[in-house]
Amino acid sequence: MRDHPPRIITHLNELMHAHGWLRPDDLRALAQKLGEPLYKIEGLASFYPHYRRTPPAARTIEICRDLSCDMQGCGQLRRRADELARSHQAATGERVEVVEVSCLGRCERAPAALVDHRPTMGEVGIRTGLQAKKTHAPAAATDAGRYRCDPYQTSEEHYTTIQALAEQSHQDASASVLDNLKRAGLRGMGGAGFPTATKWGFVLKAQGERKYVICNADESEPGTFKDREILATLPHLVWEGMLIAAHVVGASHCIVYIRHEYEPERQRLAAEQQRAEQVAAKLGITLEIFVSPGGYIMGEETALLEALEDRRGEPRNKPPYPGIEGLDGKPTVINNVETLAMATVICARGADWWQAQGVNGCHGLKFMSVSGDVEVPGVYEVPMGTRVKDLIARAGGMAGGGELVAFLPGGASASFLPGAAANTPLDFDKMREAGSTLGSGGFVAVGEGRDLLALGISLTKFFRNESCGKCVPCRVGSEKSVTLLNEVHQKGSQHLPLLKDLEQTMAQTSICGLGQVVLTPVLSLFKHFPELAAQASTAKPAN
Amino acid sequence: MPQPSNAPESSAETPKTPVKSTVTLSIDGREVTVEKGATVWDAAQKLGIEIPVLCHDPRYRPVGVCRMCVVDVGGRVLTASCVRPAEQGMQVTATSPGLDKHRKMLTALLMADQPQTPSQRRPQGSTLHVLANNYGVAESTGACGPLGLPRGNGRGVDRSSPVIGVDHQACILCDRCIRGCDELQNNEVMTRTGKGYSTKIAFDLNQPMGSSSCVSCGECMDACPTDALVNREIAAPIKRPAALKQVDTLCPYCGVGCSVTAHVDEERNQVAWIDGRDSRVSDRRLCVKGRYGFDYATHAHRLTVPLIRRDDAYPKGPLSGAVRLKRGRRPGGLVDYREVLPAFREATWDEALDLVASKLKEIRETYGGQALAGFGSAKCSNEEAYLFQKLVRVGFKTNNVDHCTRLCHASSVAALMETIGSGAVSTTFRDIENSDVALLTGTNTTANHPVAATFFKQAAKRGCKLIVVDPHRPRLADHAYRYIRIKPGTDVAFYNGVMHEIIARGLVDEKFVRDRTLNYDELCKVVEDYPPRVAAQIAGVTAEEIIDCANTFGSAKAALVFWGMGISQHTHGTDNARSLISLVLMTGNVGRPGTGLHPLRGQNNVQGASDAGLIPMVYPDYQGVTSDDVRNKFEAAWGTELDPKPGLTVVEIMAEALKKDIRGMYVMGENPFISDPNSNKVRKALSALDFLVVQDIFLTETAEFADVILPASSFFEKTGTYTNTDRRVQIGRPVLELPGQARHDWKITCEIGKRMGAPGFEFASVEDVFAEFTGLTRNYAGLTYEHLGLEGKLWPCPDPVGTDGTVVLFGESFPSGRGKFVPANFAPAAELPSPEYPMVLTTGRLLEHWHTGTMTRRSKALHTIEGEPHVDIHPEDMKKLGVVADDWVDVTSRRGSITLKVRASLAPGRGAVFIPFCWREAAANVLTIDELDPAGKIPEFKFCAVRVEKSQPGESSAAE
Repeated sequence: MRDHPPRIITHLNELMHAHGWLRPDDLRALAQKLGEPLYKIEGLASFYPHYRRTPPAARTIEICRDLSCDMQGCGQLRRRADELARSHQAATGERVEVVEVSCLGRCERAPAALVDHRPTMGEVGIRTGLQAKKTHAPAAATDAGRYRCDPYQTSEEHYTTIQALAEQSHQDASASVLDNLKRAGLRGMGGAGFPTATKWGFVLKAQGERKYVICNADESEPGTFKDREILATLPHLVWEGMLIAAHVVGASHCIVYIRHEYEPERQRLAAEQQRAEQVAAKLGITLEIFVSPGGYIMGEETALLEALEDRRGEPRNKPPYPGIEGLDGKPTVINNVETLAMATVICARGADWWQAQGVNGCHGLKFMSVSGDVEVPGVYEVPMGTRVKDLIARAGGMAGGGELVAFLPGGASASFLPGAAANTPLDFDKMREAGSTLGSGGFVAVGEGRDLLALGISLTKFFRNESCGKCVPCRVGSEKSVTLLNEVHQKGSQHLPLLKDLEQTMAQTSICGLGQVVLTPVLSLFKHFPELAAQASTAKPAN
Repeated sequence: MPQPSNAPESSAETPKTPVKSTVTLSIDGREVTVEKGATVWDAAQKLGIEIPVLCHDPRYRPVGVCRMCVVDVGGRVLTASCVRPAEQGMQVTATSPGLDKHRKMLTALLMADQPQTPSQRRPQGSTLHVLANNYGVAESTGACGPLGLPRGNGRGVDRSSPVIGVDHQACILCDRCIRGCDELQNNEVMTRTGKGYSTKIAFDLNQPMGSSSCVSCGECMDACPTDALVNREIAAPIKRPAALKQVDTLCPYCGVGCSVTAHVDEERNQVAWIDGRDSRVSDRRLCVKGRYGFDYATHAHRLTVPLIRRDDAYPKGPLSGAVRLKRGRRPGGLVDYREVLPAFREATWDEALDLVASKLKEIRETYGGQALAGFGSAKCSNEEAYLFQKLVRVGFKTNNVDHCTRLCHASSVAALMETIGSGAVSTTFRDIENSDVALLTGTNTTANHPVAATFFKQAAKRGCKLIVVDPHRPRLADHAYRYIRIKPGTDVAFYNGVMHEIIARGLVDEKFVRDRTLNYDELCKVVEDYPPRVAAQIAGVTAEEIIDCANTFGSAKAALVFWGMGISQHTHGTDNARSLISLVLMTGNVGRPGTGLHPLRGQNNVQGASDAGLIPMVYPDYQGVTSDDVRNKFEAAWGTELDPKPGLTVVEIMAEALKKDIRGMYVMGENPFISDPNSNKVRKALSALDFLVVQDIFLTETAEFADVILPASSFFEKTGTYTNTDRRVQIGRPVLELPGQARHDWKITCEIGKRMGAPGFEFASVEDVFAEFTGLTRNYAGLTYEHLGLEGKLWPCPDPVGTDGTVVLFGESFPSGRGKFVPANFAPAAELPSPEYPMVLTTGRLLEHWHTGTMTRRSKALHTIEGEPHVDIHPEDMKKLGVVADDWVDVTSRRGSITLKVRASLAPGRGAVFIPFCWREAAANVLTIDELDPAGKIPEFKFCAVRVEKSQPGESSAAE
């Protein structure tokens, strides 16, 4: 188990669960009980979006406001929800609160919403949700079919890979796993693409009486929801990947850090945990699921660590990196859900099998979240190297048979690419060469008739909304960026050079990746679509 | 924390094991070698390369949030130099047009959100604005900020604190205030609240500063680099430092002796504000009294003319309502001068001094010197104390001279003198930096020695285990490894239990006991009767608490004991202190860094006043009056015959006055009516005196009984040396001009001496007085004002030119040779609760108010923060009594009754109440008992039996 489980966050979660909000007197009592100063509680209670400081309404509707849902009319849904809320209140006397929230990770069912924290979509979903009696019963996770990567035909075979590794000497097991991962060329699937074998190698070598493995399941980036699918359908591969990592590096405790909006998926994972724990116990490893108190920034690995250490989730200055000084200052492996699941696949099937899965000179498999203007949005397991146009074809083609104008290949922090780049293979290196990134594998297709600049600004707003506020460039710069971009969009103005300067400063001086990419997607539009720049600089008549 | 200066030496001493502890890097093409762990910013500083910062200050843990100090180390992005460790071979670019462009943009972003019309200005100037000027982004007009960035913010202002204005709009979220509060002062009040762009600094659960648990120490204000946290005006407008005079002096309040710089408006003769000063004592830190409690000195109540009692104001007695009234609610607030002044007429200095000299002489000649007595003050300087005791001994011909040390640590000093032969602390309070365990007992340090408390809390954060033993739960308990609430007055039993267990567990330092102590067997015999189970029962604790305390203290590598009035102010206070001394001796915890005995001295100069001989049994430097050799020495030095009999102590003098055996008194800067136990008895005693001269800065309650009142100087108006709790002798320097005809105290005392015909009162300067004093001592020998300089010296200081003095005493032996165990048996307090008086009263002080409140209640800020009397009662007891917060209650003891409001507090245990003694209108000492400790002659302020009842409405409406 952990040496220092987060005391305040755990208690705040309990208070939220008990009362639906954090009552001031409860917070004072908590400070007294824990012997902690009030300011620490304030710092946390005010930081995490899961915590509320005012009494909740009887019913709540939360509507996603970000990119993919924006494309499917979440603005209009918001207005309809307000009307539904009013009529529901009039009919039942139950007060209904409607709020806009950041990406819920359900972009394939856009516009996504939560009614009483249960996932749904669109006006019909909200209406049905409100009509149903409020319930605390869990919503079921969607159960998709089998994926090609899963090495196991039956559930009896689950965890045989780690068990086989455990029978070898630790040295042999570590060497074979690291060699496999290295030859497979597995890279971090959370967005950074860091070689997994190298990361595990660091932690294996790092000195520490305790080490940790953390699965980053805080997927919160607009257009990205493939981890949610993996958690729901392949939880055994995730747990096993963590056990393999822990066994290789010598860690004794594994934590899945999951966003609180993924409650159905958490239950899948928790159900699987019982099986995983039987295996883990034999290896002297303990397992834990930690539900995030909220916020996209928690996906930044050091912000995530701060939350696990009972502090505001503000990213750390690096170095030191988590591999050397991670949780509680101990060497820590932090990997994305897909990375850990695929590590299991590679260890089970071997690097050669993995290599052979790619196409167009690329290697391996990739889970892509596909949303936006496609016929069948969803998660697609495709060979690495699949061309963009082929991915779109897998997703049923462009909506209404339209043209691909632009696409975002790798989530909210990627640059847009023009439709003309549809031949680019989905691959870390190939995407970089094309001027963008495979990032988190969140693919958003943009068809004809879209206000491209508005889509770009939507992403800037997302980052502004999710900035933790720790460092000046991101805290102030993201806010100023949104204001400037709105002016450009609404009135047309000469702000582009200033925005470019601002982008450079934010990219170079922000502490973490969030601040560094605030303006990346929107400014990429001006590069690929020169007519946008021309329009932007032309004063528009005021409405 | 290890002394930083030791680090290079220790590494130089071990050249055989070459540990690579330095790194060499290149910054802007220049090589520099720094210690491993140093940051790139540190390395640049070493080269003289200025990297701009806003959030960084070497006093605080670096956080790298303002990003102003970014440098290029060849990474994908830039890195903040303040948090980036320097690495071997690193190639750093710290200065370049590209970096400047980013720094300019960052500054512009912050400037865009600055208020266009600032609500307040930092007098020293805002670091942000300096940077903005440098980058040419300071000026912008219209809707757009610098570089065309949109303006924003609107976070508002908070004017709820009487001392600090908060302009959230000017705040840049650099977190310096938060770190100052959390990591230096360890007050733990501030945080960031919210997230992203709407983040702001907050207090507690986002309360306004003025209603939060903030203790107004001002550290946040001092830390702030912008106009966000700025001092509010107290006595004079806040101006640029250049428009004011800066004087490096000391804080006038407690025994910590913090170093300050006063910014003085000479034209107005007012202090504009006070800053902490870097020093070995206080590290720039201050508390609310030191930083904001300075304006008492220029209060309109200052006495400016000598006063003589009118003939029609006899017979003498109390003049003001608060002093006159025996029961019921007294008029609140400060003394009403209109009530008291009509009893006096103004006089010339000559007339007043002649009257004083002739009256005192007359009493001496009629009744002998024993009929005279003097109370000096621990608020006065060493020189003033020295002259005062000299006047009493040489001019009055008696040793009846004492001061408030009698009311604070007399029992501690008695025990220390008896056991080890020295009454002073064995080490400084900051030596806790070297301790792994510290026992804090009977000390409410955060209120009474607030700056010392910051170092204790810091030590706790470092891992030093604080064991807090106290019936009254101090705030420090929040930081303790273990807080143990013993029953009031059971200290001896508790520590006997601890010592029993230390012996049982074999944790005694046998070698120390063998080589350095006496009488150990006697101790063993006594504590044998106190197994933890028995001791626990007496002290109202669990045996486990005693065992853990014994184990923790007994196993410490270096343990220190701090104690305060909770130990000393008992009829068995000397026994309490003896027990602590025994504990330290048996575990060998004295004479090494991080170990020792530290009775925290209360007044700013209680150590010095005692050193200077303001004690009835000893001349300066604790030289006994009964020793012929000593007396001969002083007779020779002072040119007169001296009384070989030890004099009477404070409470004894009052008792003798009541019996008319004492007939004349000289009181300098003390207020016995409020500070001494059993006020009703003091009232009678003061009324009974044939002649009383009071020398003070305000019309005190004691002065109401005076025949002559002499207007004296406040701390801020004079030069003198003061010795803090650490034995550090420091110089206080004049900041303000004397008001009216008020005179320096040392000159007044000399004048009385001369007019009484006493020899040896011709001095040209304060320094001459200091020279005469030091010449008669061993511990101060050789010290001069020149040596003392800005930092002062710790006595003893054999080499005042080359060293700072001695931190740790008794490394080889004690002044008495061997340390003597003086075991004590538990004895109950003098007055135990009874059915009629079922509760225990403990008195003490508040953070905001000093002693009898004469100074602090005349400070605007302190009065605003803490303005009226209250009694602290446990919420459960409140329920039992049927009272709620702010109800009026009568608190009654066998000696009197007072009426005041109730405040709920968990600090007093069940069955106990706490009343601060600073309130004249609800004077706690009306209730206290004047029973004395037999050895220390200290009264039992910490224990008497009282009854609490809800006031009847009719009775309490008088003062509404």
